[in-house]
Amino acid sequence: MVRAVGRHRGALLVFGVAALVPVFVRDAYFLDSLVLILLWGALSAAWNVAGGYAGQVSIGHAAFFGIGAYSAALMGTRFHQSPWLGMLVGVALSLVAGAAIGYLSNRLRGPYFALSTIAFSQVLLIVASRWRAFTSGSEGIPVPFRPGFATLGLSHVAWVYMALAVAVLYWAIQVWLEHSRFGYRLAGVREDEDAAQALGIPARRLKVIAVTASAALTSVCGTLWAQYVGFVDPFYVFSVDLSVRFALNAIIGGMGTALGPFLGSILITSLETYLRATLSGVKSGFTGIYLIVYGVVLILVVRFFPDGLAGLADRLRARRARAQA
Amino acid sequence: MLTLERVTKRFGGLTAVREVSLEVRTGDLLGIIGPNGAGKTTLFHLISGYYAPDEGRVVFDGQDITGQPAHAISRLGLTRTFQIVKPFGNLSVLDNVMIGALTRRASTREARGDAERVIDLCGLGPHATARARALPLALRKRLEVARALATQPRLLLLDEVMAGLNPTELAAMVDLVRRLHGEGLTLIVIEHVMAAMMRLAQRIVMLHHGEKIAEGTPREITSDRRVIDAYLGEEFVLAEA
Repeated sequence: MVRAVGRHRGALLVFGVAALVPVFVRDAYFLDSLVLILLWGALSAAWNVAGGYAGQVSIGHAAFFGIGAYSAALMGTRFHQSPWLGMLVGVALSLVAGAAIGYLSNRLRGPYFALSTIAFSQVLLIVASRWRAFTSGSEGIPVPFRPGFATLGLSHVAWVYMALAVAVLYWAIQVWLEHSRFGYRLAGVREDEDAAQALGIPARRLKVIAVTASAALTSVCGTLWAQYVGFVDPFYVFSVDLSVRFALNAIIGGMGTALGPFLGSILITSLETYLRATLSGVKSGFTGIYLIVYGVVLILVVRFFPDGLAGLADRLRARRARAQA
Repeated sequence: MLTLERVTKRFGGLTAVREVSLEVRTGDLLGIIGPNGAGKTTLFHLISGYYAPDEGRVVFDGQDITGQPAHAISRLGLTRTFQIVKPFGNLSVLDNVMIGALTRRASTREARGDAERVIDLCGLGPHATARARALPLALRKRLEVARALATQPRLLLLDEVMAGLNPTELAAMVDLVRRLHGEGLTLIVIEHVMAAMMRLAQRIVMLHHGEKIAEGTPREITSDRRVIDAYLGEEFVLAEA
């Protein structure tokens, strides 16, 4: 138990602070940032299950995010059902879509898998933006706010704990991946598919499972995001930008590490929020400059910390251990 | 234990392996030699399920495994190493071997125990925590063997595990293969290092242009005219004499 606490110090710190913040801070803007940090972190963790642990780098995960967002929004507005039911529908659809894309792109490796995932998310974008009768097309769908847990109409503080619960759950799933038989064998598939097969590992099946699970986890967060933000816009929820964000948080934080996606999200989300608030706007004359700063930070991190922030933490810990020895 | 019946593999117009038949009995240590491009590695791919043969059958322990996927064949107890080693580069030596052991084990704890024993057997003990990609070639070759052993095969195919080793490393690898054979493991070994092959193999098969042109004991093979012409050259025969 003590050892487990020691090993997961970083996670304890990150999630502990997040849990304590609403006790002391009631500022809506600050709490909003915290919800987004946790949600984007959880989404990157979901991406990490396929991209980091299975080596199936997707740049189309917005597809599953959008499925989750639309499922709940449509279940609410068209069928007057609870968003929780919408979440389940989204998960079911994402399981099917994830398994299909995982299976179809099974023989594709490296960039070709990433390209096929982009194509998939773009197809969904076209469907969602053109099928006006059902999805309201490019106008998007406003999600009505109905207070209560059953309708996911929560206060800011409640949203922090909702996002935190999902974040901790997704973190725990990744920790399980690092210590389970499935996770070890998946790491083998990621490192070398041919070698993995020689060791009796059904590499293709494991990849499909990982992509499918990752899709379902992404979809859950898509639902939560739609209910939290209150508006589903096809050009946002299916955008490549969004897919890239899921990947980048994990890459910057540390691919294939449990805490990495959350560290990446803390850095990127707060940086973006801050830059957007201070540097953009018509008056300052720097509209869009936050994107440039954002880009520079990405380049620096990838150049100097190729293993991500989690890798950096490991290196510092190793150096300290050596200094003590 | 393993029977190949007139196995053929074509790539477009090129026939990489042509009607090769083989018989490997339990406890055998069979060597495969031949010039580069003779089809040795292709033959391994055909046996281990990486390629499906165009014609012919592969039978392992009385079971037809022709065209079965590699992972299924490995689970049956037939596994292989790769000529160009394929370590799980970002993982430790222990994790590499553990992934092999997990094929027979449901729990990671048991697999770790198995892996530690195999690592010691292969002389990788001092390197257990090293990242696989940081190892020198000789140790990566040994890791390749260790990982395959961890799956508890009954038939192991070794694809040039001695290539590129210095004399000391070579001797250690020969010892390891001998010990495995001594413990009852059946092996098929592809090797260019003839000195090692002579000391190891009970029988040798010579491939040339995808065809089996000779088979026999090491002594018979080295005195076979076709083998000398196609592969060994006169110098080897003189050196042996």
